[in-house]
Amino acid sequence: MRATISPDILKALLAIVGKGNVVSAQDELLVYECDAYTLEKSLPHAVVLPRTTEEVSKIVALCARENIPIIPRGAGTSLSGAVLAVTGGVMITMSRMNKILEIDYRNRRALVEAGCVNAWITNAVKAHGYLYAPDPSSQSACTIGGNVAMNSGGPHTLKYGVTTNHVLGVEMVLSDGEVVWLGAKPDGGEEPDGYDLRGAVIGSEGTFGIVTRVLVKLIKAPQAYKTLLGVFESVDDASQTVSDIIGAGIIPGAMEMMDQLITQAVEAAYQFGFPLDAGAVLIVELDGLSAGLEKQTEQIIKIAKQNRAREVRVAKTEQERLDLWKCRKRAFGAIGRLSPNFVTQDGVVPRSKVPEIMRFIRATSEKYGLRIPNVFHAGDGNIHPLVLYDERHADQVANAIAAGIDILQKCIDLGGSVTGEHGIGVEKIDFMEKQFTKDDLDGMRALRRVFDPENRCNPHKIFPGGKRCGDFTPRKQIAA
Amino acid sequence: MNLAPTHVADLTVLLAKAQASGEKVRSIDLGALGRLLEHKSEDMTATVEAGITLADLQQQLATRGQWLPIDPPKPEELSIGTILETNASGPRRLGYGTVRDYVIGMTVALADGRLIHSGGKVVKNVAGYDLMKLFIGSRGSLGVIVEATFKVLPLPEREQFVQVQCESLDAADKLIESLSSSELVPIVMDLHNVSGTSGVILVLGFAGTQDGVEWQLSEASQLGVDQPSSLEYQSKYFAATPSPQNLSVLPSKLIAAVRSLNNIPFVARVGNGIIYHSASMTSQDAGRSTGLEARLKNEFDSKHIFPDF
Repeated sequence: MRATISPDILKALLAIVGKGNVVSAQDELLVYECDAYTLEKSLPHAVVLPRTTEEVSKIVALCARENIPIIPRGAGTSLSGAVLAVTGGVMITMSRMNKILEIDYRNRRALVEAGCVNAWITNAVKAHGYLYAPDPSSQSACTIGGNVAMNSGGPHTLKYGVTTNHVLGVEMVLSDGEVVWLGAKPDGGEEPDGYDLRGAVIGSEGTFGIVTRVLVKLIKAPQAYKTLLGVFESVDDASQTVSDIIGAGIIPGAMEMMDQLITQAVEAAYQFGFPLDAGAVLIVELDGLSAGLEKQTEQIIKIAKQNRAREVRVAKTEQERLDLWKCRKRAFGAIGRLSPNFVTQDGVVPRSKVPEIMRFIRATSEKYGLRIPNVFHAGDGNIHPLVLYDERHADQVANAIAAGIDILQKCIDLGGSVTGEHGIGVEKIDFMEKQFTKDDLDGMRALRRVFDPENRCNPHKIFPGGKRCGDFTPRKQIAA
Repeated sequence: MNLAPTHVADLTVLLAKAQASGEKVRSIDLGALGRLLEHKSEDMTATVEAGITLADLQQQLATRGQWLPIDPPKPEELSIGTILETNASGPRRLGYGTVRDYVIGMTVALADGRLIHSGGKVVKNVAGYDLMKLFIGSRGSLGVIVEATFKVLPLPEREQFVQVQCESLDAADKLIESLSSSELVPIVMDLHNVSGTSGVILVLGFAGTQDGVEWQLSEASQLGVDQPSSLEYQSKYFAATPSPQNLSVLPSKLIAAVRSLNNIPFVARVGNGIIYHSASMTSQDAGRSTGLEARLKNEFDSKHIFPDF
């Protein structure tokens, strides 16, 4: 790792992007030392903020000539350290390439720059009755480019799928500076010839190059919503309700669960009116045509009652519905009330194993003497246990890490995965060999060589055997 | 070489041999690998061997009220492996997407016989690269798909088709415009001229709850689409046209593209901008990133024992 980059290189970067768009002073670089995964930190050598694809291409070509790692960055909301500059390098921050370039309602697509914030798209098209479906909880901050890198999900992926199901094509700068378009072109049909390199890029965590433009699908907004809040005595009852709803052949737009600990924190923070003594609350949102929705609502209430729901509330107004979602999506932000520090896990189990993994998490919490609230995508089996700890106690830090490892290992044992939407990043590298065979990983490495033969794009991510940051001191956590 | 393995281990040995001798693999018959390995209806997932036919799979899934929501032509002959290799789709892709949207796990035999897995058995999973997307639609040029795990869906309560005959493409265009801006959410919107009548026929399909389908039928009827229909034109056309051309355009340019075909038989997926026809056409692959594609082929099949893309 080089200690600094030479003044000549800084000068060349400045010449490409202009004054005010290069950050190289140590104190200013601190902002970029980590993303929302704060257990590991490392400074990039410089941060550049390009405004055009051409500038990105020139920066990347320069870094290729000088053999400097490049680290693409959107809003820095990654929960797995995906944009950590492990061995320094030039961080290319896409926040100034944030425009919506074209909206085409007739063909139901929009062309946006990679730094465009996720929620801006839906905000721009909702008056016309459309939306962009993937809705990560960080959607008011996270960027589409980041969503493409991580194949982001969100509560509504149960019915609508994740980023890869909603991105038609991407413009990408490869590791030598070449600009390519992968997938459907803005003026082309949805089924281009050739390999689905678009699909390969989505979820590659910035290790294939830098996505600069994204062609996304717009879908018609549902005619109506029915949003229910079920109050249960136990997580088991709420989990069984989720299984029974699916068993009845109903696919809600979303099914989200919060256990007692997180519900109490969310209530203290946002005063929605959640019960403080309930074992779990379940948010079920039906959407679609108005016709038929009422009947499904009744069916769901019946299923919930059969599973001993104490009460089932139905949001009466659009405002009430939005308030409920605001609480859910800001749940992580309420954790500060419970603990100075927390680490979020992102495991997945088959839907029917949700009760089992929740029991395991309770046992793990007792084993390590740490509280572990849960707020998660129950309908997808995608859990988010939040392991609470206090960094001032070294034993708690060690226990928090150990608890996370136990839980993710259990997800693998139950036939699941160590990440449903947050990615491997630096955080879960050690799990790759547990979830995949050597041959599987070699297949992935072969694909990486196709795009980035010199491992220059976002190095030391995903694959075991790379460098780790020396700095492993947790600090005050910022809310995701 | 023509391969007809009786099980996966057999295939890996045969491939390793082919790779070592540099002999080209002409055909692979996976007919012996035709089992539904696992159907977990409570998880809405199913794992199959690639040789199973789509019709066989659908029949087994239906015993528990579920289906894989893809509908390419000739499901009795078409194996899951072939569907994946060709990314085959049917009229319902408007409502449900393509097989790319449903694969959550895959096992592939590489050219040297190694087996690799991508994805898993859970519906949400971002661990590692999505190699599945590479193999789907790769026409067998990178490896042999031997197993796949899918998200499956509950069968809809009801499904109904209606149609209307349009005297001209202009009339069809106007109708499509008003359907697109209506509140209807059809799972099928096809235009075709293969029924032997004059003009073109626009077909709509609705699926979902009883009430939802009922409401859509009455809305469609107000827009003039009200004759009972079915997907018979689809099977008829593909039975008569063994390997049609496939043109993919912006949905807004579909009518113009159909017009340029000059009255030859066609079936078009209006909402997707896809037209099946048998006119001779020049290839539309301008602007492909051929450098990346060549490197990909080289990484996965350096000795070119599999067919080129």
